[in-house]
Parts: sequence; C-alpha cells; structure tokens
Amino acid sequence: MKKILALLLALCMVFALAACGQTVAKPAEEAKPAEEAAPAEETASEGWAPGETVHMIVSYKAGSGTDTTARILAQYAEKYVGQTIVIDNIEGGSGSIGWTQLADAEADGLTIGFLNLPNFNSSITQEMGAYTIDSFKAICNHVTETSIVIVRADDERFPDLESLVKYGQEHPGELKASTNGPQASNHIGAQAFANSANFTYIDIPQGGTADELLSLRGKEADFCVVKTADIVGQESEYKILGVFSTERMAELPDVPTLGELGYYPDWLGSSRLIAAPAGVSDDVITFYEAAFKAAMEDADYLAAAEQAGVTTDFKGAADTAALVTQQQTFAESLAEGFWYE
Amino acid sequence: MLGTLAQMGAGFLNALTPINLLMMAGGVAMGIIIGCMPGLSAAMGVALMLPMTFKMAPETGLIVLGAIYCGAIFGGSISAILIHTPGTPASAATAIEGYQMTLRGHAGKALFTACYASFWGGLLSCISLYFFAPLLSQLTLKFMSAEYFWLSIFGLTIIAGVSSKSIVKGLMSGALGLLISTIGLDPITGVKRFMPSSYFAEGINTTCALIGLFSMSQVFVLAEAKIKQRARATKFTDKMSLTREERRLIRPTIFRSWIIGNLIGILPGAGASIACFLGYNTSRQFSKHKDQFGKGSIEGVAGSEAANNAVTGGSLIPTLTLGIPGESVTAVLMGGLVIQGLTPGPELFGKYAPMTYTFFAGFVLVQFFMLGIGLLGCRGFAQISRLSDAILIPCVTVLCFVGSYAIHKNIMDMVVMLVFGVLGYAMRKFDLNTAAVVLALILGPIGEKGLRNALRTSNGNISVLFSSVVCWVLIALCIVGILSPIFMAKMEKKAEKDAVAGTEEDIEKLTEEDSV
Repeated sequence: MKKILALLLALCMVFALAACGQTVAKPAEEAKPAEEAAPAEETASEGWAPGETVHMIVSYKAGSGTDTTARILAQYAEKYVGQTIVIDNIEGGSGSIGWTQLADAEADGLTIGFLNLPNFNSSITQEMGAYTIDSFKAICNHVTETSIVIVRADDERFPDLESLVKYGQEHPGELKASTNGPQASNHIGAQAFANSANFTYIDIPQGGTADELLSLRGKEADFCVVKTADIVGQESEYKILGVFSTERMAELPDVPTLGELGYYPDWLGSSRLIAAPAGVSDDVITFYEAAFKAAMEDADYLAAAEQAGVTTDFKGAADTAALVTQQQTFAESLAEGFWYE
Repeated sequence: MLGTLAQMGAGFLNALTPINLLMMAGGVAMGIIIGCMPGLSAAMGVALMLPMTFKMAPETGLIVLGAIYCGAIFGGSISAILIHTPGTPASAATAIEGYQMTLRGHAGKALFTACYASFWGGLLSCISLYFFAPLLSQLTLKFMSAEYFWLSIFGLTIIAGVSSKSIVKGLMSGALGLLISTIGLDPITGVKRFMPSSYFAEGINTTCALIGLFSMSQVFVLAEAKIKQRARATKFTDKMSLTREERRLIRPTIFRSWIIGNLIGILPGAGASIACFLGYNTSRQFSKHKDQFGKGSIEGVAGSEAANNAVTGGSLIPTLTLGIPGESVTAVLMGGLVIQGLTPGPELFGKYAPMTYTFFAGFVLVQFFMLGIGLLGCRGFAQISRLSDAILIPCVTVLCFVGSYAIHKNIMDMVVMLVFGVLGYAMRKFDLNTAAVVLALILGPIGEKGLRNALRTSNGNISVLFSSVVCWVLIALCIVGILSPIFMAKMEKKAEKDAVAGTEEDIEKLTEEDSV
C-alpha cells in the first residue's frame, strides 16, 4: 500500500514538473538550434526562417492587455511564420524581468518579444534592468493606443476641457487625478497635460488602469488620463474631453486634441511593439517584419482583432526603432522639472 | 422579471449539453490538481487553460475557466490539511485547523468538511451572482482609499484571533510581516525601498513566502523530529463523513462565511486569501467549542473553506457588471471575455444574456461536480496522511521548490521561499505565529496605499478616514475584532468558575442532606 502511495506522490510531482516543464526544457532547446540554424541560413537563398518553435516573451501576466493582443496576433501569425508560436508570460519587476530575459536571450531568432512603450522606457530611466534601448532590435509595431482625458459622464462641473483647466487654476490643490501607478504612463499623461495647461492637481496612484477607473467612478478622483481601449464597452460612464494627438481621431471626431486648445501639442499614448535581442542578424528582422505585416493584414486576424477591440497599427522596423528612440528621449526629459516636488 | 426567469431556465438547459458537462468535470478535476500543488494557483490554472478556450463557444470556454477556478480554490485545502502546505494562498487559514486534525488522525474528516463547506460556499455565492449582481456591484464603488485602509486594519485584528498562545507574540509576528511588506517600489512615489535588485520591485511574492513559512518550515520541523527519532505514530480512527450533529454544527459557520466571502469577493484587490482568514476568525468567535480551536476544529476548517469558495461568485460580480476584476483569477477571466469579443458591462445582461445565464448555470452545476469529484478524490488523498515522514519529507521539499519556481519561472523565487522556510522554522521554535506574518504581508500594501491615498485626497486632513458610513461600519468591526477575544476569554473564565462553584455547591448540598 505504502509503495503505491509513494508512486502516486511521485506521479503528482512529475505532473507538477510537467506543468512548468515548457520552460524547464527551454535552455536545452535553445542550445540546439544555435548549431542547426547556421547551416540552414546558408542553404536558404531567400533568407532566414525559423527552424523550430518560436517563443514570444510577454512581460505581463496571462490575461493582461498585452497578453490578450499578443495571443490574438500569434494565433494568426503562425501561418506566415511557418512555426508554432508560444507565448511566454514572464511577469514581475514592472515588466523589467521579461525584458531582461529578452535582452539576454540567444540571438538565434527563436526568441522574440513585446516591448511596451512608454513603460519600457521608464524602466530604463529608473534603472530597473541592465538593458538599454540598444539591447534590442525593433521588428515592427503592433498596437498603438492614444491617451485621452476623461471625467465621469454625470460630472456637470466639466462639460469640456477648458472648464477642467479653469477649475484647476482657480482651486489650486483641489483637483485630483487617479493614475495607474507612480510615474506610469497615465501619470505621465496627466502631468504633461497639467504642466502644459498651467494648473495643479493631486495624483492618486492606483495599482493599474482598472483601479484607476474605479477611483474615478467612485468619485475619489475628478479626472484621469487613460488609453482609448481602456474604456471600450464602458463609454456611457465617461466623458472624453480631449485626446493627446496631433490631429482629431477618426473614431472621436467631436473630441478636440489638447494641442488645438493650446495645451500639450504632441502625440502621447502607448505602443506595443515586437523586438528581438540586439544580436540577431538583419535577415531575422526582415523575415519577421514581413511575416507580421502579412498577419496584421490577414482578414481573419483583422476580424478577431476588431472583435476584441484591438487597434492594430503596423509600422515597419525603421519607423518602430525611431519611435523607441523618440519615446526614450521623452522619458529622459521627464527627469528634470517635469514632476511636482 | 418573468423574462429574466425564463432566461435563467434556458441557461440551465444550455449548460446541460454533454460537451459542457464534460468540460465541467474535466475543469473541476484539473482545478483540484492545480490547486493542491503549492505554487500553482487558481489564477495560473485559469491562465494556462485560457488559450485553449479561444476555439470553444464563449459559454463553454467560460464554464471551463469557472470550473478550474472553483476546483483550484477547493484543491488548495487538500494539501493544506494533509501536509500543512496551502496549495493556494486562499487556503492559508485552512492549514491551521486542518493540519491539526490530520495530526490527530482525522484527515478524512477534515477533507470531507473542506469539500462540504466549499460546495455550500460556492453554491450560496451563486445566489448573489444571480439575483443581486447589479445591486452589489455598487458596493465596489463605495470602497475607496479610506475604506480599504479600514478593511486592512480589520483584517489585521484577526491576528489576535489566530494567535491563541500569546497575543504579544502574535503582534510581533504581524509587525514583522508588515515590515517585510514594505519591500519593493513605494506605491505612491515609486521610490525603491529595501531593494537589492529589480526582482523585488513588486515586493516579496506572497505565494513564495507562504510556501516557505508554512511548508518548508514544516519540512524542517518534521526532519528534526525524524533525526531525533521521535517520529509520531498516529492512530487512525478516521471516517470520510460527518455525523448529523457535526453537519448541524457547521451550518451557521458556513452561512456566515458565505456572507463574508461574498462581500470580500466583490471588493477588488481583497480576494480569497483574506476571506479565508476572516471566515476562520468569525467561526472561532461564534463557536461554542472554542477549546477545539488550535487542536483541529471542523468549524475552523469549514469557516475558512466556505469563505474562500464564496469569493468565487462574489468576485465575478464586479468583473461582469463593471469590468473591474476582483482578483487575479477574474482578471484572467476578463481577458478571456475580451478575446471572445464580449465586453463586461450591462450588455452581458442584455444583448448577451443567454450566454451569461448559461455561464451562471454552469457555475452552479460546477459546484455539484466539485462535491462529487472532491469526495471521490479525498478518499485516496486521505491515505497520504498515513505515509511515513521518511517519504513525505523529500516529496514536500520537492513540491516546495517546484511550486515556487512555477510561479514566475524564476530561480530567485526558490531562494526567497527557502529564506522564508528558515525564517518560519525559527519562528516556530520561538512560538511566533507564521499565519500572522502571511496575513500582514497580504494586508500591509492594501492598508498602506489606502491610508496614504486617502490623506492625499484630503491634503493631509485626517477626517477623511471617518467620512463615510462604510468607514464607520468597518471601524466598529475593528473594535469588535480587537475586544472580543479579551471579552470572550473573561466570559469563559467566569463560566468555568461558575461551573466549578456550581459543583461545589452541589457537593455541599449533598453533604448537608447526608448529615440531616
């Protein structure tokens, strides 16, 4: 009897090992293609193509916004990549643990991943990891979300952006904005808005965007900055007062840009882009750039993305790299005199 | 109203298709296995299965995820009872009484109690999900920073309840937990606190700390006993059932824990790990058999398990009605909804009502599967308590390491687990309370953020903490929570004295009668 039980327990453990076996086995898997990939490159005249399962690192939890959009893309990109794509969720350290892993991954083109701007940039300025923007090579942009200023739909004090600004100027230290964390993307947005419009506010940092919106709905905060996709399905609860963009958005033709009213003139928001470790050859970048472009133009993908409220925004490798640099410069400029003391 | 009832009925019929029933059984079984593995939490189980649900019909996919959720929350109790290893943080309080029952040879009874209480907790939570979802979702909006601060203080008052031996040592343990909870990025300013590397940015991982404090330290304790050749020999007088009296005994406990678990479930960020402690503590406060607590009380097991399973239904309420997930599991579930093209909100009860009510019906049926599969499985699981320590020690050690690695697939998690294992062992040697550390570790960040944000909204004016009805209710609960153990102890002493005095009087009377 005891032996059977011991056997059962051992089986249990085997199961547990199997549950995380995917990654346990990974280093061995990764070591192999390094030898095999080289001859493959030589023989294939059209360029490089992955010979094995492709791993995509998502630096946030399964079920998070990035994970959801990544899985939808992966599902339809397999056809063009020619291999199974596995999403590895490596969360923690505000994203920095996953990005560290991506930067350190073998440069064989079998491990790529998502970078989230501007959180990625802040993780560099805050020295959360040993990587810089030069530790990665951009492949293409996937999703762009523009920041917006919102208030509660039933808040009669603020019919438009000017009234919010005026209130802030006349009642210093009274206006409150919830954010998705200290110096996180939406805090940057609120601060950029306040600095450009010359009013002061108190930030109420919350753990994430869901809690940030809850804080606004619970009347703890007066306004907040979020991204367009964050309020999909909840539009009736909020009033959108302004968008952080250089021109009005097609979906929101009646909402003015901040620049129109003389406030923050540039685009602000978040991007999810695909990148590889810096060591990969240009052939790898070219291959994935074309494969993901085809996937993002795939009719089935577009239908699935629309259903899930994903705003696809393909940008090529060069444009994406420029975006990363521009956002990094912006993030570094925040160090001096941007935040309140 | 009639239309809604008809939709509910249709929902049940839809849920009863063979494929759905099969998925329920499979989901529950998988959930139980995931739950009883330390480190594999309910959230991870749901996340693992999420990609597989994309190809299913939305309601079937949701039912699978719901089944894994419920199964995992119950499954955590199995290892908590048998090897003092809460499979998920939601069962931390179950380990307190459950493991004592195992030590006394009542593992089967403890498992049955856990299964029975989980079933009722989950089933009752469906009532609120069905009938009061839109109403209860308003409660979510009533809980702002100040309320979360008081909720965490109320949770901390439980320390007095779980530290039966010495309140001072309980408070010391709690203070240590609060101190550890400050590691990581400051939630308000983003300043790095006690962080040697970015690994600690989000603080100490509660699950790693829990595995270390509860399981690894238990391995050390067992190993020490083995080395000293004093391994215990337990007598087995065990039955996989409860008597009618025992069922009656835990009925009010289950009812109270349902209310607690449900309300906690509705509040984002609180979750099952707090509910189990609150449920346990309440069962203790109301119990007529307080002497049983700390020695293996079925009321304690039922109180904890009914509460954590009642969270499941509760946490779905804000997820579905407001699009605000109550805890990490429902956050993953919401990701699943979005991929299926369904956005949480009023539409789920309007345009998509047939799907929603099918999911609800599935959720009800899942509870029955959980009861059946749980009872079947427990018979086998209970045998583990008969294994000799020589087999158990290496097995639990491996589970501790695999479990902590599985969370983020990070070696550092194993180091943290081991450090907490040693810490837990030392604490047990000094009669300090490891449960109090875990409680403080969970509640510390909630309380800190609540207090500091509340004071920010009022420019430092402290009156903001007393500005709402919910605040005052929570303050009253805190006072009751702090004072009741003291009162109870006095009352008990008085009752004992009366009893002793009573018998003395009787004896006197008898002797008087004799002399007459």
